[in-house]
Amino acid sequence: MGDIRQSLLPRDVLSAAKELLYHLDIYICNMVQSGRQPPQVDSKTLDLIEEFILHTPKDRNAPRMSALQELQLLEIMCSCFQEQSRDTVRQLMFSALFNLQGNQADESRMALLSKLVSMAVAVGRVPILECAATWLQRTHRVYCVRLAQVLVDDYCSMVPGSGPTLHNIHSASPRFCCQFITAVTTLYDLTSDELTPPMELLQMIVSWIQDDPRLVLITFLNSPLSGSQPISSLDVTPLGGLIRWCIKAPLAYRRDKKQTNNGSSDGEPDAARLFSALHLSVLQVFMLLPNILNEKGLFGRLALLQMESVAALASDLSRLLDQADKHTHAATSDTHAASQLALDRLAQALQVAMASGALLCSRGTRWSLGNLLQLVLSGPVMYYNNIHTPPLTYSPHAAHSPIPTLPPHAPHTPLAAHPAPHAQYPAQPFMTGMPFPFRPGH
Amino acid sequence: MLPVLTAKEVPTSGCGPPYGCICSEFHETNTQKAPDKPPARGPETYGRVRCAGLVLKDSAMSVVFDGSPLKAMQSPHSHTAPAALSAQELSQEIKSFISGVDAVQGRKLSVREHARCAVRLLRSVPACRGAVLEHLRGVYDEHVSTFLHNLETEGNASSGATSNLEDIIQEVHGVLSEFIRLNPRAWAPLVSTWAVDLLGQLSSKHAGRRVAPHSSSLNELLQLWMSCAATRSLMEAYSQCLAAMLAWCPDACVDALLDTSVKHSPHFDWVVAHIGSAFPGTIISRVLACGLKDFCSHGAKDQGPLVEKGSRVPKIGSVVGILGHLAVHHSDSIRKELLRMFQESLAPSTPLSPSSSSTSWEASPQLRRAAVPFLLQLAAMSPNLFGAVSSELVELLRPAVLLQLQALLQGLPREELDNMLGLAVHLISQSPTGGARVLRFLADTATPASVIISGPTPSPHEGVREGCDRLLQMLLLHLHKLVFNRSEGSDVGPFGSASSQPQRVIPFLEELRSHVAPLCAETLRLERKRHLWLHQLLCLLSVYGGPSVATETLCQLLTQARNPEELALAWQLHATLSSCMVGLVPAAVAHCVAQIHTHTLGRRQLRQLLLNLAAALQSQEEEKKAAAGAAGAAGAAGAGAQSSMAAQIGSAVSVHLHDFGPLLLHGDPAVSHAAVRLLSCSPLPRTASPAHLLLLSRAAVTHFFLTLRRRGEAGKTGRDAGQSGEAVSCSVLLLTRFAAYSALTLKAIIQQLVEGALHKGNAELFGGQIADMSGAPVASPSVSPDLGASLLDINCRFGTTVNFSGSVWSVFHAGVIGKGLKARTAANLPDPSGVIQNIQTLLAVIVQCCSSSSLNGSQSPSDPEEPPPINAEAAKVIAVTLVENVCPDVANGELSWPPEEHARTTVERDIHIRRCFEAHPVLFPLLQVVAAGRPALCYCSAVLRGLLATLLSHWEGSREALSTDSPWHLQASCLLVSCMGEGQLLPPVLANVHEAFAHLTPFEVRLLLLAVWEYVRGNGPLPQKFVFSSDKGMFCRDFSRDGDVSRYVAPIHSVLHKNIDTLGHLCWRFQL
Repeated sequence: MGDIRQSLLPRDVLSAAKELLYHLDIYICNMVQSGRQPPQVDSKTLDLIEEFILHTPKDRNAPRMSALQELQLLEIMCSCFQEQSRDTVRQLMFSALFNLQGNQADESRMALLSKLVSMAVAVGRVPILECAATWLQRTHRVYCVRLAQVLVDDYCSMVPGSGPTLHNIHSASPRFCCQFITAVTTLYDLTSDELTPPMELLQMIVSWIQDDPRLVLITFLNSPLSGSQPISSLDVTPLGGLIRWCIKAPLAYRRDKKQTNNGSSDGEPDAARLFSALHLSVLQVFMLLPNILNEKGLFGRLALLQMESVAALASDLSRLLDQADKHTHAATSDTHAASQLALDRLAQALQVAMASGALLCSRGTRWSLGNLLQLVLSGPVMYYNNIHTPPLTYSPHAAHSPIPTLPPHAPHTPLAAHPAPHAQYPAQPFMTGMPFPFRPGH
Repeated sequence: MLPVLTAKEVPTSGCGPPYGCICSEFHETNTQKAPDKPPARGPETYGRVRCAGLVLKDSAMSVVFDGSPLKAMQSPHSHTAPAALSAQELSQEIKSFISGVDAVQGRKLSVREHARCAVRLLRSVPACRGAVLEHLRGVYDEHVSTFLHNLETEGNASSGATSNLEDIIQEVHGVLSEFIRLNPRAWAPLVSTWAVDLLGQLSSKHAGRRVAPHSSSLNELLQLWMSCAATRSLMEAYSQCLAAMLAWCPDACVDALLDTSVKHSPHFDWVVAHIGSAFPGTIISRVLACGLKDFCSHGAKDQGPLVEKGSRVPKIGSVVGILGHLAVHHSDSIRKELLRMFQESLAPSTPLSPSSSSTSWEASPQLRRAAVPFLLQLAAMSPNLFGAVSSELVELLRPAVLLQLQALLQGLPREELDNMLGLAVHLISQSPTGGARVLRFLADTATPASVIISGPTPSPHEGVREGCDRLLQMLLLHLHKLVFNRSEGSDVGPFGSASSQPQRVIPFLEELRSHVAPLCAETLRLERKRHLWLHQLLCLLSVYGGPSVATETLCQLLTQARNPEELALAWQLHATLSSCMVGLVPAAVAHCVAQIHTHTLGRRQLRQLLLNLAAALQSQEEEKKAAAGAAGAAGAAGAGAQSSMAAQIGSAVSVHLHDFGPLLLHGDPAVSHAAVRLLSCSPLPRTASPAHLLLLSRAAVTHFFLTLRRRGEAGKTGRDAGQSGEAVSCSVLLLTRFAAYSALTLKAIIQQLVEGALHKGNAELFGGQIADMSGAPVASPSVSPDLGASLLDINCRFGTTVNFSGSVWSVFHAGVIGKGLKARTAANLPDPSGVIQNIQTLLAVIVQCCSSSSLNGSQSPSDPEEPPPINAEAAKVIAVTLVENVCPDVANGELSWPPEEHARTTVERDIHIRRCFEAHPVLFPLLQVVAAGRPALCYCSAVLRGLLATLLSHWEGSREALSTDSPWHLQASCLLVSCMGEGQLLPPVLANVHEAFAHLTPFEVRLLLLAVWEYVRGNGPLPQKFVFSSDKGMFCRDFSRDGDVSRYVAPIHSVLHKNIDTLGHLCWRFQL
């Protein structure tokens, strides 16, 4: 394979790339047929790819492709992947081209990949999306996030009206769609304005999950059970990210609203509704979990929600609440409602996650996260104990909350009979409209 | 080509916004043009779109700043457009776009179709964005080519619809501007970069076309490109981006502009100019901010104007270029912006500053610190900008600002400060205007505060003062280097060619050339350090400007100095300059003289100049005396320069003596006084033309009489009196020196003095009365009423009109019949003591002139007590002049006397002479002077004779008891006789008779006078009878050679006898 370099050199940029792709295809086909284990592309080939396709500047004279040539190359790649019938070959080729090597070619690799995926989304090239889904599973989350960012930029902000195109990936490649959601939720952690998902994206995701809650679990369902996940890759499911969205949204979007005081007020209830729906969907997904886990025999053994991320979320939340307090000295009812909503969602999510075995948390686990979480953890318990009282109506949607109908898994509701370990905090009903007694300043 | 649109009903209610479906319709048909935007004008378009084609152009043009109406309809539109294309179709489109061939029909796409395909991709496939924009470059380029080609062929070739891509351009423009409006954050940076880059490429590429005007004619370029749809569209797109980006990241936008401007330097300027004039405020401040940031990131390492790194030059260079362009129309805002930058960089960082949100650089302390060096650098690179700022910058530097500046600069490292200082000095020295103000500011600020001298501005902080001090000294040093290297270079030129090449111009000094006078005035204020600096600067300026400026400077100093200390500055200047310039002093004096001639100097200046020159000359004399007296050359070396300068001034003044002469008669007494002081101490030229000498002597004499008059007017007391007294003495001194200069001047002066003394204008000074031609004093107008110019008047003056002189007839006019005798005006002498003083002065002058004349040769200095003898020649001049004035008839007449009886033939003339003596008391003293200068009195013979004759007839006809009854005649007789005795026309025996006159009767006086007459008749008053006696140093007459005196003495003796009781004590006087 390395010997074709001389024949590639005199060619022009585009045809050299084409030629190399062609040879790569043949080379990988041969490799797969020969059944060599493990099927690995050698480093010389990788060098060739970097030189002739990614145009890593080995020497300065190497002409770079124009945008038009690049488009042609993308087009060729699209058809190349499309026409390749064998998944293995396609997969190998994709990883040969786009797996990150940790060298300087990675930048152009990422750029090319982003364009390729974007184009694949536009023209509906399923094989490429599938490959990309695998890529997203294996790659460091930083790069996954970048890919997601490009797609969001392209389809949700740059080209008006192209959102539906992106919407279609749900049907084209559910795997990719699931990974995309994971990446997007990782990217937009609601810490700042830039990191707040565009409304269009939010709508899209909500509608995806509403249509098919299992979409969220596709990667989890399809991937091998063992912890073969590369370190710091994306989570197996977007559940953690989605929970974060739902919990932080009331506070984050309220912040948005405050900043754009005179802005259109119709967006906010819209977002609230979407997040509410999303929260419901997420809870529904949790409800699916016990069966799946039981099928796999993993119940109580595999934590889909990482303890650390939940802890981080909780501390984030407490910080946000503090800020909200500081910013609005005259605590409006709005502020209260938002804070309550966030806390409620956190509680609900934790409760359901623990109940469904997504979050592994034993009874005696010390939540060294301060009083707040203790309280949150104890709050629902109190509420749960008084299950006969009507649910507190924070929002109209809360009435539909599945929590009251949660089947009581006695051994797996570790907090159900929580002994309220901190005696100094007397358990008391969590009533709406009452001032929260443990927050300073009131 | 406009699309043919069929009228199409648009749903007006119910299913969504009204315009939604139009575009999707046309997207499917490639051959037709789709309006990318529904017409937004007017309600009538709601119902039908029939006029869409017509409106299209309008909306495309106005889309840049079009407001909200489009927004509402855009989003439904965007939803529908891509939905019309399935993934399969998109794939086809991409293939078509790449290959340029219609993927379905297999035929080649036209440019228009291809472009439209690209636009569709742009709307639907984000990944194609780069490729599409790249393709569109080609389309724009094509359009520009066609456009220019059409222009070149004068458009007579059909500007065919096929080649005219204008509609496509507008379509693209519409899409882009829509994108930008919908999502400025994503699109504006992208499109702005693309547009600017493409603009740059297009402008450079087509710069060489025939129709393209030269890049220097910016306006024509602008016109050409703005008439081309492609470039105009790009420009509008860019403007839109800029307008959008200004809100959040203006720097990126302007950065791109700057980079492109650097790349396509001259051809791209029109873009910058256009953008700049569209957004003057922002562009200018952005450009500055960008430059500052760039400067800050590159700077700090090397700051020198000459040591520049490659990466740094372009940015600041293009900043300069752009600002230079904008300076044509927006120099005012540029200036404001630069000054604002300066001020804000100094202002204490207030986080609440309202403007800090829009411009970010103020927030960073590092950038703020770099602002001043950056501005300096800018100024150094662009004289335009510098010129714009420099004038107002100085105004800004109030003490408070200076303190801030100092606080800011204190933080900088030493070498950076030095660099800045050097830069500032360089700038100042190169600044073509405002140099004087800068200088004044520097000097004001750097002058130490003092209790005594309170400047116009309150004293600045000490640190600021020191800074300015340092800056000023550096400036002087720098100028010094410039000036002297420059002149050195021209002098040491190997083939002398160096002198022919133009010398390096130093704008600062160039400008100051016209400020020499105020500079000199400032210098002369002698404020502590200030005058040292200014003096040094004047030296440099003089060296720089060459002789003309040096002369001017010296001249100014000479004119403006008011006391010796100030005058010393002039000497210092001369001492410095004399090493490199010759003939400075003569030139300066000549310059002064020229100024005098052109009357450019005011009276005070003129006076000061003359006084200063005089002081210089006097100091020279004093030096001489001191040197001679001390004999130790201790002080001589120090004063050497000064004395040599004084000597030069002396010689220079002496050359121009005749130019100073007229100033003696200047209307302002102070000026004439100064002039006389100068002239009285100025050395006299070695040679001088007689005309000049006569002129001078006339002026000097006239001035003498003027001073006498002024002395009389000034009164006796006070400063005026003292000054006028000094003026008189100066005038006397001048006359004396002049008279001693040559025979010619002596003669002229004496003659004019005498004439002047008798002139009717001056007569009253000496107690004289104005006499008419007949010698009789005229009645003052108040006494004799105006008779009018009538026959009667002529009749009154009958004697003068009909001249009977010389004939036997004598006609006298005694008055008009019936009115009695003509009234004689009473002599009204206002101030006898003044008259006496004047006469004394006059005599003193005349005596000095006569006695000090060089004709005498060796004056005997042996006996200083005794006045030097009167020079005979001089006395003769007096005599001749006297005769001419008293009695013009007898000038050059016979010297010897006729018998007494013949006197009746000359009665008329004699009366005239007597009246003259009556009217002019000064005549007798003059006669005495003449008498002293023997034998000059001989030439007065006719006058003496006339006077004696009238006296004789008076005494003969007198019926008074005593001679003292007619006092004037008695006095005249006495004086006459004594004069004749002094002049040795009479022997001592006869000369003494006047002593007896007062004791005699008129008849006896007549007898004695007759004896005198007889003697003179017998022994004619001839000069030949005098011989020079060398032991006395004067002429003497030996009476022994004449006949016997005794026969003339007889009447004397008989009178003595007769009156022996009263005359006894006089007998011894008449012994033979």
